[in-house]
Amino acid sequence: MTQLELQRPSRRLLPAARTAGARMPRPRGDGRVALFFIAPVLVGFAIFYLYPTVRGLWWSFTDYSLLAEPEFVGLDNYAQVLGDAEFWNAMWVTLCYVVLNVGSQTVIALLLAALMHRLTRSVVLRTTLLLPWLVPNVTVGLVWLWLLDTNLGFVNRTIDAMGLDKIGFFTNPAFAIPTISGINTWAFVGYTALLFYAGMLQIPQDTYEAASIDGAGELRTFFRITLPLLRPILALVLVVSLIGSFQIFDTVAVTTKGGPVNASRVIYYYIYQQAFTYFHMGYAATMAILLVLILGVLTFIQLRLLRASESQLA
Amino acid sequence: MKRNTALRLAGIATAGIVLATTAGCSAGGGDDGGAVTLNYWLWDDAQLPAYQQCADDFAKANPDITVKISQYGWGEYWTNLATQIAAGSAPDVWVDQPSYYPQFVADKQIEDLQPYIDEDPDAVDFDAYVPGIADIYQIDGARYGLPKDWDTIGLVINKQAATDAGIDEATLQNLTWNPDDGGTFEEVIAKLTVDKAGKHGDEPGFDKNNVAVYGFLPEWADGSQGQNLWGNLAQSNGFTYSDKNPFGTSFNYDDPKLVDTIEWIAGLADKGYAPRFDQQSTLSRLEVLQGGSAAMTSIGSFNQLMFKDTADQWIWAALPEGPEGRKSAINGLSDAMYAGGKHKDQAWEWIKYLASPECQSVVGATGVVFPANAEASDASVAARAELGLDASVFLSYAQETDGTFLIPINYHGTEMAQIVQDAIQSVALGTNDAQTALSDANAKVNALFE
Amino acid sequence: MTVSATLPAVQLDEPAPAPRVRRRAGRGFSIGRTLGWIVLVVALVGTLFPFYWMIKSALTPAADIVADAGRLWPTNPTIVNFARVLGLLSAEETRAAGGSGASINFALYLWNSIVYSALIGFFQTLFCAMGGYAFARLRFWGREGHFGILIAALMVPGIFTLLPNFVLVRDLDLLNTVWGMVAPSLLMTPFALFFLRQFFLNIPKDVEEAAQIDGAGKIRIFWRVVLPMAQGPLITIGLITVVWAWKDYLWPLLIGRDESVRTVTVALGVYLQQSPNTQPDWTGLMAASTLSVVPVALLLIFLGRRIVESLNFTGIK
Repeated sequence: MTQLELQRPSRRLLPAARTAGARMPRPRGDGRVALFFIAPVLVGFAIFYLYPTVRGLWWSFTDYSLLAEPEFVGLDNYAQVLGDAEFWNAMWVTLCYVVLNVGSQTVIALLLAALMHRLTRSVVLRTTLLLPWLVPNVTVGLVWLWLLDTNLGFVNRTIDAMGLDKIGFFTNPAFAIPTISGINTWAFVGYTALLFYAGMLQIPQDTYEAASIDGAGELRTFFRITLPLLRPILALVLVVSLIGSFQIFDTVAVTTKGGPVNASRVIYYYIYQQAFTYFHMGYAATMAILLVLILGVLTFIQLRLLRASESQLA
Repeated sequence: MKRNTALRLAGIATAGIVLATTAGCSAGGGDDGGAVTLNYWLWDDAQLPAYQQCADDFAKANPDITVKISQYGWGEYWTNLATQIAAGSAPDVWVDQPSYYPQFVADKQIEDLQPYIDEDPDAVDFDAYVPGIADIYQIDGARYGLPKDWDTIGLVINKQAATDAGIDEATLQNLTWNPDDGGTFEEVIAKLTVDKAGKHGDEPGFDKNNVAVYGFLPEWADGSQGQNLWGNLAQSNGFTYSDKNPFGTSFNYDDPKLVDTIEWIAGLADKGYAPRFDQQSTLSRLEVLQGGSAAMTSIGSFNQLMFKDTADQWIWAALPEGPEGRKSAINGLSDAMYAGGKHKDQAWEWIKYLASPECQSVVGATGVVFPANAEASDASVAARAELGLDASVFLSYAQETDGTFLIPINYHGTEMAQIVQDAIQSVALGTNDAQTALSDANAKVNALFE
Repeated sequence: MTVSATLPAVQLDEPAPAPRVRRRAGRGFSIGRTLGWIVLVVALVGTLFPFYWMIKSALTPAADIVADAGRLWPTNPTIVNFARVLGLLSAEETRAAGGSGASINFALYLWNSIVYSALIGFFQTLFCAMGGYAFARLRFWGREGHFGILIAALMVPGIFTLLPNFVLVRDLDLLNTVWGMVAPSLLMTPFALFFLRQFFLNIPKDVEEAAQIDGAGKIRIFWRVVLPMAQGPLITIGLITVVWAWKDYLWPLLIGRDESVRTVTVALGVYLQQSPNTQPDWTGLMAASTLSVVPVALLLIFLGRRIVESLNFTGIK
């Protein structure tokens, strides 16, 4: 993970009033005090992260229906999952969603950030763009479900008025995932844009001035200067967006519930169904583990690809 | 400034802890000194007022027990129930359906009512019920629900649309159907379909891409039973769901008789007589019908009351007669008790009351469903007649031999419903052909029982 | 607990002063600038229009929902939908106004959401600040190792711990209680811990050292000296945590189904499922959705500037 090292402000000189003879007390081990400080964090980690991980791992080797004791079945769950067409469909659907979502979100966010950086520094604008991010995903899903309704939604009414065929945004399998991905892009693009904007603020103004003296236009400046210097932040945003995007659940649960048929049955939703509707907790745990592995691999690949370009700011 | 902040923080922390403790205490069914609140779930919001009346009457007779009714739509009902069972906090009593209850039995989440009945022999008069209803919920001497209501399926047609299309009532009451050419059923559907230029579906020049009024609205969200349409048609085609019913373990969803049925229904959209599956809206079929964008659809007897405000605009007919006769699914709902409930005795009182003539006549008088109690059922038919709604079509199947069939009762109900529904919907969408989809689905379904 | 797509956001210094955009001499209008402005306006409208539509639909009486579907303002605006979802009307009135007659009480659900978010926001920030400080400043055995393990949890998607946590809370009989709901997030999340430690690593040691010379204990240093210095990032992390908790859906759905602890997000989902069988109760849903937006909109109005300006990095190496 990219280390975020923050710029050290210059150290203030120690006040000259310090008497010559006084020395800093030798630092003792802070064991007992430290325990007090980290106790809540350690307890929280142990009970709600470590213990569940171990337990989840155990369940993946069992047949556990939540209503009875787990029964050991060895690697059966893994074999079944890897051969489950629904699982691969869920992974494929999720992958499509992630690519569409992160792709569109990053591009639009970069555009907005560049415009906010170069065109106007209005705080009101930035604040307003943040609103969709603050709103629960469930609300976002409901509002768009209503807006995109085939019969009563504003969008389809407009399309119909233009003489075109109505689009079943949530009921047409070809549109289901793009629509959900678009909705979440709408929800997160403001926040992402603000992060890019913050990163752009770090680029020294002189670079831009030098560029404009050399006669570079805005577009060129963006691609040759802003983007390369933004790379570390871009990398971080992409990695975190990817991980977060894979975990899409709320919007699907509210709008399509995995439909039509299984066109939007993303992996989280499928795991949820297996665990809480069909009571196959062991199976669900297996899928969760496979998801962790896949995410780990994807993150690693991403970091590798993006680390090739270090920041040129230094 | 620092001191103030610290104090403020401490204040917030204390308030937070107090809030959390008090908020936490108020969760769960209130049980202070004898007063008990029971949770009751049902799925049909149209029935909610009738059962609320029962709950109020019950509360008067049993001041210590309050019944809290929650309604969740059909699409979410069983998944919510499953989640709550997994969480160990299912409702004390819920409305149960034959296809789903065996799973609760297998998971030991539903209470056997027979011991309660044995202790209280006068509690239930089984003779007062419509014959056969009570047996649905019996397995090996255990009884998992008391009868609540029953229903069959019929057709509802827009009277004006029929007149405009030149279809007379006699034809509608005697429709025939077969999966090859659709029989008079398809003829009528074609006639009822009108495109934006005014041409009917059977006239030359009919533009199937610009339809103003659809001839028929199929129901595609029908689980593994097809109770609302395809199950009935398939049965009248000679299809049987499984090797035996109840508790079949080997299923026949890949039977050509079902495949042909599904293909015929899906074909209606291709011909322009029914809307395309991927262009549905959130409006239900019945709303679309009432809005005038369609002329006919299948309807359960439990939905007839929806049309009471415009009763004279509709014709009611029985399902078409297929190659093996005219058949409708008959379904009987029951009230089930949660095995993990904390107030089982009170729950028993409520279930008893729900199954009693008192409550059932209250429900029957509204006409919203046909209660299991025979007298109340007649009262419901009469109530509907008074509103101008002819309910005789729903009773007509009983007069024919094998005119009714029980919807499939088996384990793994929830999972099966998803598998078969997905397969059938993929046919409606056009992403899969019927034989492949149903064969795959059948393999998966049978695998559940291994 | 799901890890949402949130990002490190730690304020250290004052944000860099807004550089003056030097205009090229003689260039007022340009196609580029106009296009840029158009894009920004489109973005603004696109952001606000769905909310406008939500409010407009909430003000539409249920009977007019079809007729008014294409209009920009309802023919007969009414607040009965808000009254409905806040639980202020009787069952008949609710049904008459288009609802399904089920009892809903969004005032309670809003309160539950506020309690949930506030508890998690406050305590998680506090404990992670303590932990972050310890990992940054205190010396103890295995400090780096422990931290590494805790941070590895960042890589684990929420669903993996969610399933066993659900069973744990169920077995502890804490279902449908506030404690059960807040438990996994109350003490720490790897994300908050990581960034608070990052912050503490980079504040100047002199003030602490001065206090130490004066004989103050570590705990006192923390409370009296370090925490006040950290107000900025603490509030930032606190806000992010509160927003995340406000939006949380899956966990409260599993644990907090009972009405007394139901949060707004879960309530919206339930409400959608309770619609009359004929069609979703759009006007009621939009009124309820508006209610779920109001608190965060208020947050934005009052703290917006602070949130926006604190999303900042002061340098990446």
